[in-house]
Amino acid sequence: MPMFQPSKRDGFVVAGFDGSGDGQVLDLDTAVKDGVLGGVVGGEVIAAAVGEKLDLKKMIEELDIPEIPSVFICPISLEPMQDPVTLCTGQTYERSNILKWFNLGHYTCPTTMQELWDDSITPNRTLYHLIYTWFSQKYSLMKKRSEDVQGRVSEHLEALKKVKGQARIQALKELKQVVAAHAAARKTVVDEGGVSVISSLLGPFTSHAVGSEAIGILVNLELDSESKTNLMQPTTISLMVDMLNEGSVETRINCTRLMEKLMEEKEFRSESISSHRLLVGLMRLLKDKRHSNGILPGLSFLRSICLHKQVRSLIVSIGAVSQLVELLPALEPDCLELALFILDTLSALPEGKVALKDCANTIPNMVRLLMRVSESCTQYALSILWSVCKLAPEECSSVALEAGLAAKLLLVIQSGCNPVLKQRSAELLKLCSLNYTDTIFISKCKLTRTIQ
Amino acid sequence: MGLLCSKNRHYTEADAEENSQAAEIERRIEQETKAEKHIQKLLVLGAGESGKSTIFKQIKLLFQTGFDDAELRSYISVIHANIYQTIKILYDGSKEFAQNDADSSKYVLSSENKVIGEKLSEIGSQLDYPCLNRELAHEIETLWKDSAIQETYVRGNELQVPDCAHYFMENLQRLSDANYIPTKEDVLYARVRTTGVVEIQFSPVGKNKKSGEVYRLFDVGGQRNERRKWIHLFEGVTAVIFCAAISDYDQIEDEQKNRMMESKELFDWVLKQPCFEKTSFMLFLNKFDIFETKVLKVPLNVCEWFKDYQPVSTGKQEIEHAYEFVKKKFEELYFQSTAPDRVDRVFKIYRTTALDQKLVKKTFKLVDETLRRRNLFEAGLL
Repeated sequence: MPMFQPSKRDGFVVAGFDGSGDGQVLDLDTAVKDGVLGGVVGGEVIAAAVGEKLDLKKMIEELDIPEIPSVFICPISLEPMQDPVTLCTGQTYERSNILKWFNLGHYTCPTTMQELWDDSITPNRTLYHLIYTWFSQKYSLMKKRSEDVQGRVSEHLEALKKVKGQARIQALKELKQVVAAHAAARKTVVDEGGVSVISSLLGPFTSHAVGSEAIGILVNLELDSESKTNLMQPTTISLMVDMLNEGSVETRINCTRLMEKLMEEKEFRSESISSHRLLVGLMRLLKDKRHSNGILPGLSFLRSICLHKQVRSLIVSIGAVSQLVELLPALEPDCLELALFILDTLSALPEGKVALKDCANTIPNMVRLLMRVSESCTQYALSILWSVCKLAPEECSSVALEAGLAAKLLLVIQSGCNPVLKQRSAELLKLCSLNYTDTIFISKCKLTRTIQ
Repeated sequence: MGLLCSKNRHYTEADAEENSQAAEIERRIEQETKAEKHIQKLLVLGAGESGKSTIFKQIKLLFQTGFDDAELRSYISVIHANIYQTIKILYDGSKEFAQNDADSSKYVLSSENKVIGEKLSEIGSQLDYPCLNRELAHEIETLWKDSAIQETYVRGNELQVPDCAHYFMENLQRLSDANYIPTKEDVLYARVRTTGVVEIQFSPVGKNKKSGEVYRLFDVGGQRNERRKWIHLFEGVTAVIFCAAISDYDQIEDEQKNRMMESKELFDWVLKQPCFEKTSFMLFLNKFDIFETKVLKVPLNVCEWFKDYQPVSTGKQEIEHAYEFVKKKFEELYFQSTAPDRVDRVFKIYRTTALDQKLVKKTFKLVDETLRRRNLFEAGLL
């Protein structure tokens, strides 16, 4: 019976394995490098670091390459072998797979269909070494490449200058990934003039696919003054507004954040943001029940917009006031402060006051928020209540008192808040009490469940 | 029993035949309804001369087989008619200005040209136009070049001189040639009032030739009468492409009405229609090429709707600024005319020049992308 002789020269491959007998002995690394087994692209060799015991299984998993040399693949599972064993027929399989085959009661060689005359399975150490070395080299190459962030960035930027269509979208996607993962990449993009390359892709005929990827990159970069000014052109803003209205939540958040960044420039003209479509799109982001991660960036942007007087009227006219009031109960503290600031700013306008008054939940929500979250929130809520009650004292006072306003105001007055707040509270208390007799009023001041 | 059987069989045979036919028809109806569902229907609306039919022609040129020889030839009489109509309008206009205008002398033609003018005006008022030959073309050209006519042309907005005037007048030699066959561009400029409903079906197949969406485009033309009665037939269209010629801001219609205002009213009316509750709206702000040159010479605030416009600079910047202003006005109008429950329908504005094939193609690519994304969104896949 032919016996399989284990190779005495472990780790060495004899070139001419199939019998042509060149006789030249190559070490494993060189063999793999020179592509004896194929599959090595570019021929770059990084010798596996001495002493670094990379786990084969881990490498196979992480690498996920489609072109693995066929001799490394187990004929049963079609996966690369991690523990290759050879049968008496000379065919090699993954140990666990062939054992399963035997356990099912088969005593044949799966590929040759021959009946086995010998049930021994011999570990194929040679093949194992080859597989290991091949994967190690690929792995080291991959690791090096992923560390060569700069190189990849340059590569993608060059590609962007030339390609169009699907290739362009692909290049942008990959650049976005690199930029998101490595801080060094961001700097490289800026240094190599990437900002203007990407900005130049944004025009009146930019498709959504390209635009969303480009914005996804730009929002993560440090943009200088000139770049920001460049991005403030009406067509670019218009494109961002479109994406704010139609994009995925990630795209919408990116547009929001980028536009907020642009607003920081002193050259910024409020006309750019004085747009129905922008504000309606922004409100839609805030109201999106499926994605709450848009609320904070959305409110932050809206706050910045509110600072421009000319736009406030427009914000009120699209019904933002009642929409914001409805949002309040579900907000986190940091969002609450922003939302209340916005509502307070809008309450300075006559139409803002009216909108606040007309919304049924304004007063109850504001009362609930007093002394609940933070001093700033209390300050804003108080200010809003003041605006509303001043506008229509009889109507609003009763609603407010029913909601437990009086007790809350007393809390403020007795608290350690700043004196201005206390003063305000006292004034508001007085305003509300005007329509009630003393006894009734005092009864309304009792601490109720509303507070607890 | 045999008798019974045979009776039944006779009955069932004829019946079976009918049943199978009916089943076949049913099956076919079901198939076609399924296929219909996948066809996206687009309705092109807009005021008269806003460029709807030009968009239509462009789509035909871009995504179908274009115009064959016979179709091209069919436009010859239209183009000649346009020329006669134009020169008549200009000549009659010059006479009117010469009579009524304070500065009348500049509208007075030379005596030879007056003769030509009278002749052409006479031709233009007939029902049938003669074929445009070399001689007539030459006479028209002479008249066109008269300074009085040129002066009149400057005030073309008051006379409803069609936009194709300049283009045709400059090409008279070619157009009057005995063997003239209209070019694609000539066809795009040709002006004929659309009657009834025109439709084409097409598929904007991309570069990678994957099977794309199938669209059916409807053009209802200038039908104004009883619009409210038939508009609901278009309920369920995927999108309305509304064309508004932004260069019309200084154009005065018959009853002294400004064309831009007419466009505004129409847009407002369309937005409020119940049948378009869920329809996407693509607003094409058309004739940008004319707008570009006009806005630097004629201020926007001659139009009532734009009376609060303030110019900020000159040249290209001013053009952009003016365009943004007009765009904002339409946006404002959209949101004013849209009930809160409809605010989520897709609304996008595109700057177009319907005569420019490349631009129309690019614009349409964007429209296609938007509609496809909308479909995915509604299917819950986005």
